Amino acid sequence: MIEVNSISKSFKAVNALSNLTFAAHDGQITGLLGPNGAGKTTCLRIIYGLLRADSGEALIEKVDANQYPLKARSNLGIFPDKFGLYERLTVREQVRYFGELHGLKGETLEKNVESVIQRLDIVTLADRKSAGFSQGQRMKVALAQALVHNPKHLILDEPSRGLDVMSTRILRDILREQRAAGTCILFSSHVMQEVAALCDRVVVMASGKVAAEGTPDELCQLTGEAALEDAFVKIIGSDEGIAA
Amino acid sequence: MSAYKTIWKKEFKDALRDKRSVLAAMSYAFFGPMLMAVAFFFLISQLTDPSDVEISIEGKDYAPELVEHLRENGIVERESEWPAEVTPIELTIPKNWADSIASATPVTVILSADWSAQKQQTDVKRVEQALQAYSAQIANYRLILRGIDPRVVQPVQIAKQDMATRGSKAAIIMGSVLVFILLSVFWSGMNVAIDISAGERERNSLEFLLSQPVSSQAIVIGKVLAASCFALFGAVLSLVLIPVIFSFVPLHQIGMSVDFNPLMLLTMFLALVPLALLATSLQLFVSFRAKNFKEAQTYISFLLIIPMAASFGVEFARLKTPLLYYLPLTGQHQTFLSLIRGEAVNWFGTGISALLTLVSAVLLTYLIGRMLKSEKTVFGL
Repeated sequence: MIEVNSISKSFKAVNALSNLTFAAHDGQITGLLGPNGAGKTTCLRIIYGLLRADSGEALIEKVDANQYPLKARSNLGIFPDKFGLYERLTVREQVRYFGELHGLKGETLEKNVESVIQRLDIVTLADRKSAGFSQGQRMKVALAQALVHNPKHLILDEPSRGLDVMSTRILRDILREQRAAGTCILFSSHVMQEVAALCDRVVVMASGKVAAEGTPDELCQLTGEAALEDAFVKIIGSDEGIAA
Repeated sequence: MSAYKTIWKKEFKDALRDKRSVLAAMSYAFFGPMLMAVAFFFLISQLTDPSDVEISIEGKDYAPELVEHLRENGIVERESEWPAEVTPIELTIPKNWADSIASATPVTVILSADWSAQKQQTDVKRVEQALQAYSAQIANYRLILRGIDPRVVQPVQIAKQDMATRGSKAAIIMGSVLVFILLSVFWSGMNVAIDISAGERERNSLEFLLSQPVSSQAIVIGKVLAASCFALFGAVLSLVLIPVIFSFVPLHQIGMSVDFNPLMLLTMFLALVPLALLATSLQLFVSFRAKNFKEAQTYISFLLIIPMAASFGVEFARLKTPLLYYLPLTGQHQTFLSLIRGEAVNWFGTGISALLTLVSAVLLTYLIGRMLKSEKTVFGL
């Protein structure tokens, strides 16, 4: 379970997050929905301990990532905002590298690497260097890096950006699979359809605050709108920055 | 396996596959000694082959033995015209030469030249010396003929050993070779250091790496070790190549012999190990602050000026202060100088400077680790 308790964060004069509170539960997919610049990436970076909150705390299984980043991250699979691959390494080498960084070794390491490569259907890519991969292939490699240690929590920052329909479907399947295995999944997006199709719960963010929270249906009811998109527009009060 | 080893191994493998990094590490070690050997070749040919001095000789028919003596000493009659801007060097032998020599009376020869002309000074001096030597020879014969030991008239003998010019020129080049070896650790690891710091940021993989359950110190240690391996690889290459290349240079012709024995090379290598760590941690410190490869390259080229200026400065300014033995870089430099001159090495100073170098490297590594925890550096805020 990931808990975010009244987090505030500002960069110089800009107030990125103010008093943000929400939770993502195990076995559920929680979508962090918000227009560009709402503070989604900042919030996720605070959760995995790369940014420090000015006040408040982010807990992963009750561990504060700002205080014990190593312990918190060992329970976490991350798909960051920017995922660059090591283009001179083969896919297998990259995945193994991150497995090793998570403390896996010997047979367990090889077994995990093999199984994640199978699961993401990148067996044919496994021994190729990642230079020249398509966006969809790069996404899969990044996901394999995030999943190699079988994390109980998965944080994804706009994972579907730049993906074609087929790759998006594969991504959704993988996330549903992970949910079925009891993983706590938190992902950010500004794409409405994706959130509606995938999320058990939606946290709508606007200018650093939680604007509304609930299941997609609850949000529609709350605003009296039939479609999530209209509900979203009503909640954040403008139609700025929404991609349908 | 501890995290730093994992990172070390991965960065090393990654860099080995980067042709640019490998080439950069090797080209310095290859072309540097080559260039220096060529410079040495030219210097030696210049020193050992003094061209003949050409002068005008008036009345050479009067004193064929003198002319022959001059010729043996590399002073010949000029065939071509003197250029307009050059004052001719002219030797005039008088008509009464043979008579005067025969009757053992002094004979005056006239040597006319522009004595203030810088370019001709050595030439004029050589003519003068040759004349004096001839004069001394005749004096000796005369004394012997009269049954007097010529040494009687030479109460004081000056033993001139003219090694100054040759020696110092050679020493300067040998000094440059040492500076070159020292700088190899700064050059060879440079590309790797930039690639695994600023390059990692540019390729957008830094954020993900820093989000792993690994301390930033372990990440930095792994990276420093990986880049240092390349720095030392370059150092080994130049240490091996320099003796090989210099064995083809006829150093003995200028009375120089440098014996690069294996033990000396090994000592040099060991002295370079802490310096390599310092060089790469310094480079990582700088290039982790840069936003991309290009920017880091700019900073690091400025950074390279420091060790270059320091070592060449010490070398050419002939700076002598005991402090040099104890500081990073200059300490290694002094050790190298002592080794190559066959002097006793100041082992205490060598040890202290190695320790100081190592401490600075560790300190810098620690600082980079702290820097990577700061969101300002990581996200360039």
